Amino acid sequence: MARFITRRLLLSLLTLWLLATIVFIIANVLPNDVGRTILGPFAPQESVDALNERLGTNRPLIERYIDSMVGVVTLDFGNSFVTNQPVLPTLAAAIGRSAKLAGLALVITIPIAIAAGLFAARRRDRPADRAVVLLGLTSSSIPEFVTGTILVVVVGVQLKLLPVIATPPRNADFLTELRYLLMPALAMAIVYFGYIARMTRAGTIEVLQSDYTRTATMKGLTTRQTMIRHVLRNALIPTVAVIAVQIGYLFGGIIAVERIFNYNGMGQTMLFAAQRKDIPTLTAGAIIIGIVYMLATLAADLIIAWMNPRIRLEAER
Amino acid sequence: MDYSRLDPVRRSVTPIQLDLVEAFANGRITRRQFIKRASVIGLSLSSVTAVIAACSGGTPSAAPASPGASASAGASPSASAAVTGGTIRCAIQRPVSVDPVGMQDLGGYGIVAQSFEFLMGQSTDPNNPGALSPALAAEAPVPNDDGTVWTFKLNPNAKWQHDGSPLTADDVVATMERLVAAGNSGLKGVLDPGGAVATDANTVTFTLVGANGNFPYLVSIYNAQTVITPKDYVAGTTFDGRPTGTGPWKLVNYNQQTGATFERNPDWWGGQTPLDGTEFIFFDETGPMITAYQGDQVDAIVQFDVLTGAALFNDPNFTLIAQPAALHRQIWMRVDKGAFADVKVREALALTWDRPALIQQLFQGRAQIGNDHVIWEGYPYFDAAAVPQRERNVDRAKQLLSEAGAADLTATLHAGELQEIPDLAVLLKSQAAEAGITLNVEVESLNTFYGAAWCPAEPADPPCSGAADLGIVDYGHRATPDVYLNAALKSKGIWNSSQYASAEFDAAFTEFQAAVAVDAQKAACTKIETILNRDIPVGLPYFYNYLAGNSNRFTGVFSSALGQMSFATTSQVA
Repeated sequence: MARFITRRLLLSLLTLWLLATIVFIIANVLPNDVGRTILGPFAPQESVDALNERLGTNRPLIERYIDSMVGVVTLDFGNSFVTNQPVLPTLAAAIGRSAKLAGLALVITIPIAIAAGLFAARRRDRPADRAVVLLGLTSSSIPEFVTGTILVVVVGVQLKLLPVIATPPRNADFLTELRYLLMPALAMAIVYFGYIARMTRAGTIEVLQSDYTRTATMKGLTTRQTMIRHVLRNALIPTVAVIAVQIGYLFGGIIAVERIFNYNGMGQTMLFAAQRKDIPTLTAGAIIIGIVYMLATLAADLIIAWMNPRIRLEAER
Repeated sequence: MDYSRLDPVRRSVTPIQLDLVEAFANGRITRRQFIKRASVIGLSLSSVTAVIAACSGGTPSAAPASPGASASAGASPSASAAVTGGTIRCAIQRPVSVDPVGMQDLGGYGIVAQSFEFLMGQSTDPNNPGALSPALAAEAPVPNDDGTVWTFKLNPNAKWQHDGSPLTADDVVATMERLVAAGNSGLKGVLDPGGAVATDANTVTFTLVGANGNFPYLVSIYNAQTVITPKDYVAGTTFDGRPTGTGPWKLVNYNQQTGATFERNPDWWGGQTPLDGTEFIFFDETGPMITAYQGDQVDAIVQFDVLTGAALFNDPNFTLIAQPAALHRQIWMRVDKGAFADVKVREALALTWDRPALIQQLFQGRAQIGNDHVIWEGYPYFDAAAVPQRERNVDRAKQLLSEAGAADLTATLHAGELQEIPDLAVLLKSQAAEAGITLNVEVESLNTFYGAAWCPAEPADPPCSGAADLGIVDYGHRATPDVYLNAALKSKGIWNSSQYASAEFDAAFTEFQAAVAVDAQKAACTKIETILNRDIPVGLPYFYNYLAGNSNRFTGVFSSALGQMSFATTSQVA
């Protein structure tokens, strides 16, 4: 298992370097004028030149690339071109906020979606199954920003049941924070319910049809025993992989949801930086999101290896 | 005319002030223009009152100038019953920077102005939106006879929040030095290093590069970076890095991502604020601001546009602050090349515009008709009689096009993705089509629009010579039209995308800049209006209102047209 983890970690580092390089190329090689973008169209050219000089954006490309890579290794991403504040604390706060929102969305989605998927699989082709499939398809085909807007108008503006912006007041307690995050989390959960439920259903149906499940039933195990001992561990493997990808996606910030609910998670922060050519923030943000993706995938691989000994043994060979 | 009241004022004022008094007494300027101009050149409130009374035969309600003055076009109306205490939550654009010297955005202006103050603030007189009133200046400044030297007496009660020390002339001088060194756009070419001198602890004298009748505007709320900072303030320091100021609110917390909170400054020279504190919530878009208000999560909105905020107009619980302002769009037409080089073609296009319909459709009536020149009707030197209003005349447009040999004119109209501009472009296209003009609308991202269509960096000489033949560009509010005239219209101006070059116009602009007396300013503006309306290097269909507002659970909310919302006199309605 240690060898498996080591190999996965090394692969992750390689991926991280590739990611940092691609982000650097996009941010630095494509034509743009950072000084002009920051100061705006009305600023005199001499001010733009002076700013580019101060920011170092007119230095040789290789010099900037080396600095950028050193920054990745030391986690020193420098100061924002726009606010002149260190990048890392800003992004740490943003990823923290995204984590809270994504966490709540996942807490809502995962148990309900897995239960719905199992429920549907055991009632394959019956009305209950059709209902779950239809619900899943519908919920995952409506974009988050549509769901979010409807929730804002109905639940927030008309019924005034929940806050329409997700940023809680300063020093808010846990329950207040939860209340503020509930609506955007619901908007995200509705979409991901469909993905996870359908994946769980498909995995479960496949396992339910397998020989070892039939054997378990024939040897006299109850349905509950069969499900827990033999079906779940195998049926949920694809679901775990899907959830891992979704975690990275959710932590990266769902820009549409963050905008609708005025929540400054990673999505809004990155968009704000992108609009202003704030290269240090963009680079650091992309790398942090990449790290989250890799950790989520690694965790999923470990869970899958734990769930299925065959995969574990293959990895150790 | 009651000469017994007028003559004492005539004898006591300076030559520039006397000129203003005579202009009003002889009916050459309106009462509103008189009061607004009086606030700039230091005519005392008692003199203003006496002159108006002498000329009207009654006792006028003169311009209030205290921070506790009542409602205006820039303020929500005061209610009779109000309670103290509480907090107001305000939606504001997320600031890019809160560095008082370097800030460039409305969000930054709005936050910094909560604690820092200007020499001159904005009057809250309901009859004179946009007039100045002293803030950190004890009274309106007094110019010398030719307007080259302006003397400001400072408010003796103003104190710094961080140590309770009084505001001094040295603080003002140091602030001005920092601004001049940073190339502040309002002070550039007006004030040189060393131009501001402390003549005593409470008096600052500004010796200008040349005569300037509008100098107080340049050190007022209308030049947002001229907030007075302490002598030892270091340029580049952000407000949250060193929270202080002389204003009504003390910064408690600032988070660039989410918002800022303020508490009452008990030592404010203007007295105790009715509210205990204020909370600013940052937004990146207007839409969520509106829903946040509708969902009862904010009480005030610093700025919104008509299209996004239309739902608020019919909300009985919302107090709309619709402030007439010089905000406008210029439709530039290249005068040096292409289809619009012939003035007949430019006039033909301008004649196709149904301006009242544009205002109704784009702003629901919340704008004023423009007449293809940049002198806004709110300026004291605006001359309504200078040129007749250009009105839609499709037949005349067709005739002009025919005379110019451009009966089948086809052109590309460039427009940036900003507020109502894409819709304006579409409306202009349909209106022009009735005269046989085919406009192909190109809506572009703002970076592309500014960088490629409006004013490309290359070729650099003359500036903007790479601009497209036709486009719509946005201009913000300015207390004086100098920037519009100097940058967009003067020969080789840095934003002159029409490539307009007129010796006659340049001379009129120079005359305007040097004019100090109101008659001279108005005379210069009459020329400017006439020349621009005749030459039409830019079409200007409207000036639109700056929109802000608040829940009617609060009263006494005040807003400038530059993102500065003031809650110093705000209270909750009982």
